[in-house]
Amino acid sequence: MMEKGSPDSEALVYEARGLTKSFDGGSVAALRGVDFHVREGEFVAVVGPSGCGKTTLLQLLGSLDRPSSGTLTYRGKSIANLPDPSEYRAREIGFIFQAFHLLPTFTVVENVQIPMFEGGLSRSERAGRALELLNDVGLEHRLKHFPSELSGGERQRVAIARSLANRPSVLLADEPTGNLDSENAAHVVELLLRLHKELGTTLILVTHDLAIAALAARTVRMKDGRIVEAPVSATQTSR
Amino acid sequence: MSFFTIVIRGLIRRPVRTGLTLLGISIGIAAVVALVGMAWGYEKSIGRQLDVIGIDMLVSNMSGGLLPKVFDESLQTRVTELPNVKETTSVLMLMLSVEDAPMIMVSGREWGGFTWDKLRVLEGRMPKDASERAVVLGRMAAEGLNKKVGDTVQIEADELPVVGIVDGQAVVENGAIILSLRVLQEITANEGKVNFVDIRLTPKTTKDEVARLRERVKEIFPAGRAMEASDVVGTSQGFQIARAMSWSTALLAIIVGVLGVMNTMLMTVFERIHEIGILLAVGWKKQRIVTMVLCESALLGLLGGITGVALGAAGLTILGLTTHLHGLLEPDLSPKLLLTSVAIAVVVGVISGLYPAWRSSRLSPSIALRH
Repeated sequence: MMEKGSPDSEALVYEARGLTKSFDGGSVAALRGVDFHVREGEFVAVVGPSGCGKTTLLQLLGSLDRPSSGTLTYRGKSIANLPDPSEYRAREIGFIFQAFHLLPTFTVVENVQIPMFEGGLSRSERAGRALELLNDVGLEHRLKHFPSELSGGERQRVAIARSLANRPSVLLADEPTGNLDSENAAHVVELLLRLHKELGTTLILVTHDLAIAALAARTVRMKDGRIVEAPVSATQTSR
Repeated sequence: MSFFTIVIRGLIRRPVRTGLTLLGISIGIAAVVALVGMAWGYEKSIGRQLDVIGIDMLVSNMSGGLLPKVFDESLQTRVTELPNVKETTSVLMLMLSVEDAPMIMVSGREWGGFTWDKLRVLEGRMPKDASERAVVLGRMAAEGLNKKVGDTVQIEADELPVVGIVDGQAVVENGAIILSLRVLQEITANEGKVNFVDIRLTPKTTKDEVARLRERVKEIFPAGRAMEASDVVGTSQGFQIARAMSWSTALLAIIVGVLGVMNTMLMTVFERIHEIGILLAVGWKKQRIVTMVLCESALLGLLGGITGVALGAAGLTILGLTTHLHGLLEPDLSPKLLLTSVAIAVVVGVISGLYPAWRSSRLSPSIALRH
């Protein structure tokens, strides 16, 4: 199905055509022909019920997995079958996960430095940038703490700081507030919006929460592995 | 934080498991140090024995058995006539079962030859002449056979009195029964036979002259050869067997070490599938993850190697100091052996890490993250 509001070909960060993804030898179809695009600097929310293929779509965009068929380009270049996607992931993408996915045996400041090993930075540059990022997310007082010593909201802020470690141009957030209470969820969303605006980062956010989705410039709705509509809400039109 | 910090953190997250693996490698490497150290030490003591006695070269037929074959003693005269030979002496050296000792070195020496010179009498006296049917015992042989001056020793069918206890300044000398060549020839039915002609060279003999001397010996004695002290150890079948046995036992210890480290590293990789997924998701190259796993296993090897060398060296030293073995063991704890052992441990670590590293590099990040 074609997504509504087709793109201008210029300034497209992502463009997917007929994207499918099956598991278990084709018996489970997670994506069934998705056409999708994202423009430079855009904030796109992807919503839909559990199992509709939102996370699978995000994983394909982040090259954590490969599509079964279809085309997927990043800034005009195919990323569907990169032989070594690590450089693309390291330099272009910042991931934020629902389950935070921090390394439990490393402190906050160390967790933020982990992606920087692929960023060609010196040891002191890594340390300096990690401090800067943790200041930005308001965790400068938690540098030496381990993830197990932090609240859920703090852990997600560490994960956000880590996602920005190599100054990516795209942030892929998979239910970033899914494990948080409403107060912490609001802080995390606020932080993501601020970073999106300040840094001009393209933000693709998968969520169940329609209130959060409403903050996006554009919402893409998925069901059963397809994009069913891409409405531009009244609030979104006014952006 | 450096990459090394990440490697260390990987090892100390499970201190008990890492500790037990280290202990496993240490024991393996300690076995290498102990066995090879003993074998090398024994070889060195033979070399030193030749130096102590003042033997520059010796002529023998090393082709068969643990000791050289016997040959006619008339060869000595012809060897003595060769250039650069200052003096020679004949020896018949046999490994015999003597009373309670299953194998002991019995050394029959030409009366008046220089091989008698460096023996220091501790108790009693030396034999009076070439024909006296008596023996002197190296001090360790005396301890081993539990004999003192005045006792008798049965060699083959003959009972010979012990007239002295001597210190030969080398393990092999101290572990031997020493007597006149002629007497040993008689009691073992080897009349006119010897298996060594020991040579002292004229001072300032050059390497080229030694090489020429070897050729001349080959001409007059095609079945045998003239060797320098270092060659003796290298060509003896007995030493080769001892060396092979020590290394093969050491190899077993190394294989056990490899399996131990591999098991630990596989457990580490399986346990950290989720973390490896995170590392891949944040952009780590597979190569970096492989390097991380290999560095962890190499570090296990290095630490295990250092501990093992310390354990092995301490064990050998303590063993050498016990009253029972005092003076018998001269372990060779040379830097070469210690460094080789540590290097083996590091190689063991790296080899053991290869398969786990390969497994980690095959992980798909999306599957690993769900783990």
